[in-house]
Amino acid sequence: MAGKINHKFRANALPAMIMVGPVAVIMLLLVAVPLIYVAVMSFCSIDEYYNLTSDFTLSNYGRLANSDYIKIYGQSLLIAFLTTVMCILIGYPFSYFIARTKSKRKKILYMLVIIPFWTNSLIRIYGWRTFLGTSGWLNSALMALNIISEPLDLLYKNGTTVLGMVYCLIPFMILPLYTAIEKLDGTLLEASADLGARPVSTFFKVILPLTSSGIFSGSLMVFIPCLGYFFVADILGGGNSDVIGNLIERQFQSGNNWPLGAALSIILIIVTLVLVKIYQKLGGDMDALGV
Amino acid sequence: MKRKLALLLTATLCITSFVGCGGKETAENGELNIFIWTEYVSESAIESFEEEYGIKVNVSTYSSNEDMLAKLKSESEGTYDIVLPSDYAVEYLIAQDKLEALDKDALSNLSNIDEAYLDESFDPGNVYSVPYEGGVACIAVNTSKVDKEITSYADLFDESLKDQIVVLDDYRAVIGMTERAMGLSMNETDPETLAQVEEKLLSLKDNIKLYDSDSPKSALISGDCTVGMIWSAEVALSMDENPDIELVYPSEGAYVFLDNWCVPKGAKNYDNAMKFINYMLSTDAAMLNIQDFPYLCPNTSAVELMGDDYIANEAKNVPAEVISSGEFLSYLDTDTLAIYDDMWTKLKE
Repeated sequence: MAGKINHKFRANALPAMIMVGPVAVIMLLLVAVPLIYVAVMSFCSIDEYYNLTSDFTLSNYGRLANSDYIKIYGQSLLIAFLTTVMCILIGYPFSYFIARTKSKRKKILYMLVIIPFWTNSLIRIYGWRTFLGTSGWLNSALMALNIISEPLDLLYKNGTTVLGMVYCLIPFMILPLYTAIEKLDGTLLEASADLGARPVSTFFKVILPLTSSGIFSGSLMVFIPCLGYFFVADILGGGNSDVIGNLIERQFQSGNNWPLGAALSIILIIVTLVLVKIYQKLGGDMDALGV
Repeated sequence: MKRKLALLLTATLCITSFVGCGGKETAENGELNIFIWTEYVSESAIESFEEEYGIKVNVSTYSSNEDMLAKLKSESEGTYDIVLPSDYAVEYLIAQDKLEALDKDALSNLSNIDEAYLDESFDPGNVYSVPYEGGVACIAVNTSKVDKEITSYADLFDESLKDQIVVLDDYRAVIGMTERAMGLSMNETDPETLAQVEEKLLSLKDNIKLYDSDSPKSALISGDCTVGMIWSAEVALSMDENPDIELVYPSEGAYVFLDNWCVPKGAKNYDNAMKFINYMLSTDAAMLNIQDFPYLCPNTSAVELMGDDYIANEAKNVPAEVISSGEFLSYLDTDTLAIYDDMWTKLKE
């Protein structure tokens, strides 16, 4: 009997342990332990010299209920929402075009979306600053063409923050949309047309429902990072409209209040989990998120 | 192809490991681990110290006092032999007994330092620290675009400057400036006074176009902002690029800072650290440092030898009365800092 168990163990569990074990250890050390550390820290206090102490407190979470913080969450959610909507509006036609094109250039078009992402996003965001500035390329070109006489004031506004977010995150919308649209069965569109549907109603009744999984997963992958991309809000928004990421960054830096920063991080994690749960409830495919 | 790649990788690994060995030569007089601000101490000054004293210097850097304090807390004692904290951070380290007293007998070059910069409130008698360089949060005005005459921090609150100003992305600096504009100290702690400061601070919101600590001069040079509340050395550099930019030292007395050489508790190479500090106080080293980083220099013997480009330039060679009428930050208790933090959050809504 004992031999049988031993044999079974060797046949099933041992290979699994060898294969999964190292990954599990890495995940435990690099994901689980830091997360637990942050969670524990969020209940700690600081002493008069801002050192972490082990006194249990809920005051960090209490401070988060402050109306100013709530306004910043709202502002951050609004920026994320606008970014997601813009990404859908721009990303959908684009993905549709590359997914349905018969041209041999399909692969090239697809690569054109990905290649810019081999450059660090911080550098690309600084590029926008140079491009949109008062003496930037856009204004210089428009003035040279006599379209405007005074330079346009484009930088450091909420709109510029959204622009930067859309620019940074649009591939995360395009790629799942592309996958969903490519899977679309062309014969269904023909059937729809044969049955007398006009292109507009074909789009809303056939194409959109069949590709909604791409929209869902794309939206999630755009919305969540938007809450944390503090450098976009700093560089293009000029620091005028903070996102949740800015609040966290400040507590770990100049604010020097790590427990409060940890509590803010936990809130961000909870918001993310809730969004993923909603996604799942709506029938979203977890594999499409690449997690 | 794969084989070639593997070969190439192996070759690279071999070479880099040799390079690693080559770099680890031990200097005859041991080593020194210094932890300093980025872009602040001249590399050529450090190199000439290494040559002259035969001491190997290992440099680590930080970009904020808070970064540095956090690292000092988390690293084991003795990791660093030298740190370069600002005024209030020195005060904080002394209060926590984290610094070694300096051996004044080993610091013969201390006589080069202008007495105006010694015996400051954060370290009376310079027991634990000696000054390196410093600066002022002053005002820069692009005179070709701004009609209003600006002479003080209070002028920055004027409605005509709507959407024009770049300020440091630093809440102690901006709130401190507001306090100075109201005739208060930058280190107010009374909650009722701070409530008034908050009201005043929020009236500045419409005037601020950009918060930037990394390179605030860029927005001034490009013309995106016409007025700035930024570090004096940044103004000096922007004036070189755009001659319309003028420097204003605020009439209320400015926010000033001074960075200082200190030795953290438990330093392993205390004697080498003293040699290093003494070298940095020397005329030669101070000249190398201000050539590369034209901040305010308390080393009078070096300043005298600098050209007119430095001496006559008020943005680089900050007048002594600006410093004496200015104010340093001091360390605030956690409750007060929370009030400051909340104000800043409101400003960023």
